[in-house]
Amino acid sequence: MNCVRKLLLARELSAGRGILRQAAPGRDLPWLQESSCAQGFWPVPVRSIRSGAALSRSDLVPSARGDKEKDRGSRDGALVPFDELFERACKEDRNKASFSRAVELFCQRDIRRRGHIEFINAALRKMPEFGVERELDVYNKILDVFPKEVFVPRNFIQRMFNYYPRQQECGIHVLEQMENYGIMPNKQTKFLLLQIFGEKSHPVRKYQRLMYWFPKFKHANPYPVPAALPQDPVDLARFSLQRIAADLSAKVTVYQMPLTDILDDGKEITQPHIVGIQSPDQQELLACHNPARPVFVEGPFPLWLKKTCVYYYVLRGEPLPPEEKEEVIDSERNFYYPMQLDLDLDRDLWDNEEFYVDEVEEGPIFAMCMAGAGDQATLAKWILGLQQTNPILSQTPVVFHLTPGPRELQVDLDSESGEEEIPQSWHAKQEL
Amino acid sequence: MALSFKLLDSIFLSSRCHRQNALHPLLGPLLTDCIPKLYSSYRRPGTSPDNTPPWKMNFSFEKGVDGIKKHFGILKKELVDHWKGPEGYPLEEYLLEQTRVVWEFRSQKDLDEWVVSSDVEIGGKSEAYLKLGKNNQTALLYGTLNTEAPRDGETEYSGYCAMRAKLPKGAFEKKKYYDWSNFNSLYLRIRGDGRPWMINIYTNPYFSHQKDDLYNYFIFTRGGPYWQEIKIPFSKFFLSSRGRIQDDQHPLWLDKISTVGFTLGDKADGPFQLEIDFIGLLNDRAHTEEFAYEKYERNPKV
Repeated sequence: MNCVRKLLLARELSAGRGILRQAAPGRDLPWLQESSCAQGFWPVPVRSIRSGAALSRSDLVPSARGDKEKDRGSRDGALVPFDELFERACKEDRNKASFSRAVELFCQRDIRRRGHIEFINAALRKMPEFGVERELDVYNKILDVFPKEVFVPRNFIQRMFNYYPRQQECGIHVLEQMENYGIMPNKQTKFLLLQIFGEKSHPVRKYQRLMYWFPKFKHANPYPVPAALPQDPVDLARFSLQRIAADLSAKVTVYQMPLTDILDDGKEITQPHIVGIQSPDQQELLACHNPARPVFVEGPFPLWLKKTCVYYYVLRGEPLPPEEKEEVIDSERNFYYPMQLDLDLDRDLWDNEEFYVDEVEEGPIFAMCMAGAGDQATLAKWILGLQQTNPILSQTPVVFHLTPGPRELQVDLDSESGEEEIPQSWHAKQEL
Repeated sequence: MALSFKLLDSIFLSSRCHRQNALHPLLGPLLTDCIPKLYSSYRRPGTSPDNTPPWKMNFSFEKGVDGIKKHFGILKKELVDHWKGPEGYPLEEYLLEQTRVVWEFRSQKDLDEWVVSSDVEIGGKSEAYLKLGKNNQTALLYGTLNTEAPRDGETEYSGYCAMRAKLPKGAFEKKKYYDWSNFNSLYLRIRGDGRPWMINIYTNPYFSHQKDDLYNYFIFTRGGPYWQEIKIPFSKFFLSSRGRIQDDQHPLWLDKISTVGFTLGDKADGPFQLEIDFIGLLNDRAHTEEFAYEKYERNPKV
């Protein structure tokens, strides 16, 4: 019985090897297909190295092919043999259903799942296109393509010599893609891996590592960003402003809602959203600000929330010049010492936890905002709104230091948007 | 006697540790061109190795004299420091200190102690630059991240930017290490743009197969105009080698620290910036954890 099984295995192996060679041109270059712009592009010389093997496959395994070969159609010219399978499966649109249809199509085609490594590699590449790169059950489905119990080593020699290395590598690739997208495997993944590769195989080890490290760092981020950011720009602005304000008492104000309206004369007007934030501390700082000195609107500064970048603007003052700073009267010049009592009784000589560095001097920050448009008119509306809660702002000159926003940046690098009063130091400040 | 011992020691150590720079300790001050090679031993696939014979390298007598002056200056300082106390601090100060500022960024000289690199080394397209921030007070690390992998047939992923402190060197290019065993936390004052960074600590590789080992942890930046003070206990650092987290973890050896670095690789294409005020050490006595990860063998061998 065992003997027969081994014979079958051997035959299967030889057939499988034929397929491996045949698909070799596509297989070796997954990195090329992975890069987004390289779809459908292929330099000729590299490919011609392998074409010899591809041609000789027909005489190597004549019997292993058969009628299945015919339905693959014009695949000799195809670089990646299984891409067309996905193309055929998604007649209407690319989604999870059509992706799993393609996987099922492959599984039904051949009971021995010939060429499954190439198929899995192609599937992994295609996942972002179908938008299923974060679906755990799709990954499980892909692992399900592997034939079961064939690659499980059955004696110590097989276990010693890296049994079916290509298949194991392929399994690791699947897990690595899960890792890169931050998908935590589940019980079913483990069950599948055990069934396919057996315990203590490399993919199972990889699984164990994922299961050890992922939960450890799951909550390491003290400033978490939700997986799906709010779609509404006002909600997004509110979320990001609360994040950067670093103050729970800060109050978010929506100064203007986004609006698109068509006037009677057919003219279209759009109102960008303006959302601002100000904490009581900032309000207090602004109230203490000397109205003779200007305040500055600066921006846009980038803020990254995972892979999206939003921009915010800051209202700030200059750092105080040395003559305006309040002088601290030390004990030796003060008759009424101590002015304030600051006793740290539980502190000792070695309890000093201060760092001896020069303070970084920066102007105070009075408010922050995010707007749908970065032009000066929009930001002036924000300042107008701020004046209601901070009356001192109506007496203070406001200078706009705006660097060209992200959109203007692509068109013309030299165009600098509005500046009311031109400060000398403006060119030194480069916003990146 | 002490001098000759130091010389011998430095020659022995350096030639043992730098394969490709075996000539360095002797000709070190005379060679002017081979410094960049120190920082990366990576050779891109498809490029031929650099086989410039030593007699074709740039020799400059003037620089040699400068180098000898410099090295004897360092040697003198080392000897004097050794007389004063551990690491040049008086003993009572050394015993009582709870904080220490290791790197601060206040001038161009401070920036010169750092090396900036990006995936351009492996053929990628990211860019990273380091300059002084506003009012010349802080270091601003900025650039763009690009995750497009190079088309060389081997590289699968790309997209990182990194900054690393230069290796501490004693007189005559002798390797030196920081001894941070008085402290248990790393303290950073930074301002980022919301991207997560990774902080890497490189320690003395005792065996050559450990030369790619790094101890890492994450820095999560909040973004926004406010500074952020981050305290990372050394017990949280985990061991990785060549970017892969390792199975058998063990705590950092705090008396053999070589350098500290920052890496960005969050797979988000676009501009980034990180402002660093200073990097310090702190002895946080409320923190008693020795190591945050299991030290027993989790994946027993077959």
